[in-house]
Amino acid sequence: MTPKADGACRTGITDLAKLELLSVSKRFGRLTAVNDVSLVIEDNELFCLFGPPACGKSTILRLFLGLEAPDAGKILIGGRDVTELPPADRDLAMVFQNLALFPHMSARENLAFPLVARRADPKYITTRVAQVAETLHITHLLDKVPAHLSGGERQRVAIGRALVREPKAYLMDEPISALDARLREEMRVELNRLQRQFNHTFVHVTHDQEEAMAVADRLCVMKDGQIEQLGTPQELYNTPNNRYVARQLGSPPINFISGSFDAASGLFEASAMPLAAVAVKAAGHGTAWLGVRPEDLSIDAKAGGAGSVPAEIYEVEPLGAITIVDVKVGEQILKAQLPGQPTFSEGEPVYLCFDLAKCHLFDSGSGRRLATGLTAVARN
Amino acid sequence: MAAIDLKDLTKVFGSVTAVNALTLSIPDKEFVALLGPSGCGKTTTMNMIAGIEQPTSGSICFNGVDVGHVPPGRRGIGFVFQNYAIFSHMTVRANLAFGLEIRHEPHADIARKVAEMAALMRLSDKLNRTAARLNVNEMQRLAIGRSAIVRPDIFLLDEPLSNLDAAFRAEMRTELKHLQREIRQTMIYVTHDQIEAMSMADRIAVLNLGVLQQYASPIEIYNNPANLFVAKFIGSPSMNLLPCRLVTDGGGNRLDFGAAGSIVITDPQLLAQSRMAHNSNLVLGTRPEQLELRSEDGNASSLRMTTTFVERVGARTIVHLEQNGLIVKVAEKNGYRAERGEPRSIILPQARATLFDAESGRRVQDGDH
Repeated sequence: MTPKADGACRTGITDLAKLELLSVSKRFGRLTAVNDVSLVIEDNELFCLFGPPACGKSTILRLFLGLEAPDAGKILIGGRDVTELPPADRDLAMVFQNLALFPHMSARENLAFPLVARRADPKYITTRVAQVAETLHITHLLDKVPAHLSGGERQRVAIGRALVREPKAYLMDEPISALDARLREEMRVELNRLQRQFNHTFVHVTHDQEEAMAVADRLCVMKDGQIEQLGTPQELYNTPNNRYVARQLGSPPINFISGSFDAASGLFEASAMPLAAVAVKAAGHGTAWLGVRPEDLSIDAKAGGAGSVPAEIYEVEPLGAITIVDVKVGEQILKAQLPGQPTFSEGEPVYLCFDLAKCHLFDSGSGRRLATGLTAVARN
Repeated sequence: MAAIDLKDLTKVFGSVTAVNALTLSIPDKEFVALLGPSGCGKTTTMNMIAGIEQPTSGSICFNGVDVGHVPPGRRGIGFVFQNYAIFSHMTVRANLAFGLEIRHEPHADIARKVAEMAALMRLSDKLNRTAARLNVNEMQRLAIGRSAIVRPDIFLLDEPLSNLDAAFRAEMRTELKHLQREIRQTMIYVTHDQIEAMSMADRIAVLNLGVLQQYASPIEIYNNPANLFVAKFIGSPSMNLLPCRLVTDGGGNRLDFGAAGSIVITDPQLLAQSRMAHNSNLVLGTRPEQLELRSEDGNASSLRMTTTFVERVGARTIVHLEQNGLIVKVAEKNGYRAERGEPRSIILPQARATLFDAESGRRVQDGDH
């Protein structure tokens, strides 16, 4: 290990820490955890792997680390094939969800441990620990043992213990999932700041969609061992490839309305409500789903012409900054998200207005997105 | 049918006071959430209502009758836990019918009630399936349905949604709220999730370290938090809490935020509130969605800060700004243009801001000494 005076300053092209998977598969018995995945994580980005439990996201981290060996494919770190290299030679640092601090050691000793174990220069260890502690705002906690730290403080020490090293990349498996909501909100801002200060590649794994969108430079949505979509959080939110990605991102989730779709005219007609709209340049046929995000629905007392349907208030969820209104249209309940604190009463007849320019059409068979942006047409 | 009155309810475990002199009136048929972080005493309170824990002191009355000596089984309580507690080897139908069968209800009644509850919980097509073969979401619906079917006087739910995925949790919030209105039972819901409490409850009791912080409707708690703890705990992103000094000059009042600037108080309500302060060290509370960002210089009611971070979280964009350690979050819409490093003026809507005493942490109000 080469001691460096300043961890935030890296020089030389040899440090480039691009992480790559080339057609990698990993099976556990009959289960295919990672299915022919190719992926490039760029140097110096905060990359987030997101998906439900067992989608393969943690397995990908373990493959990079060398804790699992792939059944097929290659793993590259900084352009070098590391598929056959043992974990210790891959030069990556890891933060696990279950902190795993040494209970008998002070925060300082915990932080220093990875450097002591690698027999780094004691003077360098002192400076580096002080520097990392300052970045994480834990200098005042250095003499305490983990039992005397709060959950959030322990998490900072655990992250710090990974950060004292200067590996090619930092990998984090649900590093803040165990914290309470308020602390998670603070820590995700902190993680982003750390990544910029350390100027390193960070790979972050989470099942929390808000956390994923908040921290990631680029986000990879996974399902059943495969990549569903990869891009910036905004790209994925605004133009999801398919119904799955659309539903995974956003809370409350996007609403879907089934209907018929004619590719020749581009006409979508909802089957259970008086709503018709035209999408241009959409292939597909037969049946489709209209996808509308709760914030693209509004509620009016009067009919608003095409693009508005008669409805009934089902439930109102006031959240302070926003209000989620569950609206019954025929037999279906749609969620609308309104700003502020409007009031409605249960059973009240209203009109639900669609911001069709922001709606998506999805193929009912494949789930693929056919079009974004529709125009209302009057229905006979 | 049950109104619940807790009076000076206290529970001590060794050296820890889990619940400290809690007095709370829960009207009949209301949906009340006990909300707080872990260790706040919410589950202990619920266990005492159920009779699972004995209070160290204080009393619990149902409809005015002290139930201190009534065993748990006779309190007319239905329980739903985080870990379902259903019979996994039995069918959905048998699970639903169980509570009615042990009461020897007529077969025709049981069949009708099971069919109704299955429809309400959207399990009608799964009635003959073994519970073990249900998915997590169906399992939780079954657990709720099984407790609700016997129509207990009081329904206690302990974090019933915490194992569910986010999209389904949003659906279940609506369903639970609807269910409570249909069956009209007093419902007490324990959670650490402020969104669940806000969206479902008629009233929220916010607890911290065993002490009641505030007991009011969700909107009242959101708009008028009683103290800094409640202000910080309710709302996401959390309320901006900005330390400042109250300066009186020339008859007017001003809030000084140091390097970020100062604000002349013009709103009559905020001015009146500032005059009640007993201490010049205050904290100004203002919600992220109520602030407005401008690129040009603001007015006497604005702060100058620099954009440090932009979080794009789907429907919302959260802009973080800073000036000499003072941090402000502003919530804007999806697609809002903001870049790191941009200087901005922040316009404060004074009419919706609130002041807290920096020492006591309490909202500044009349008669507060």
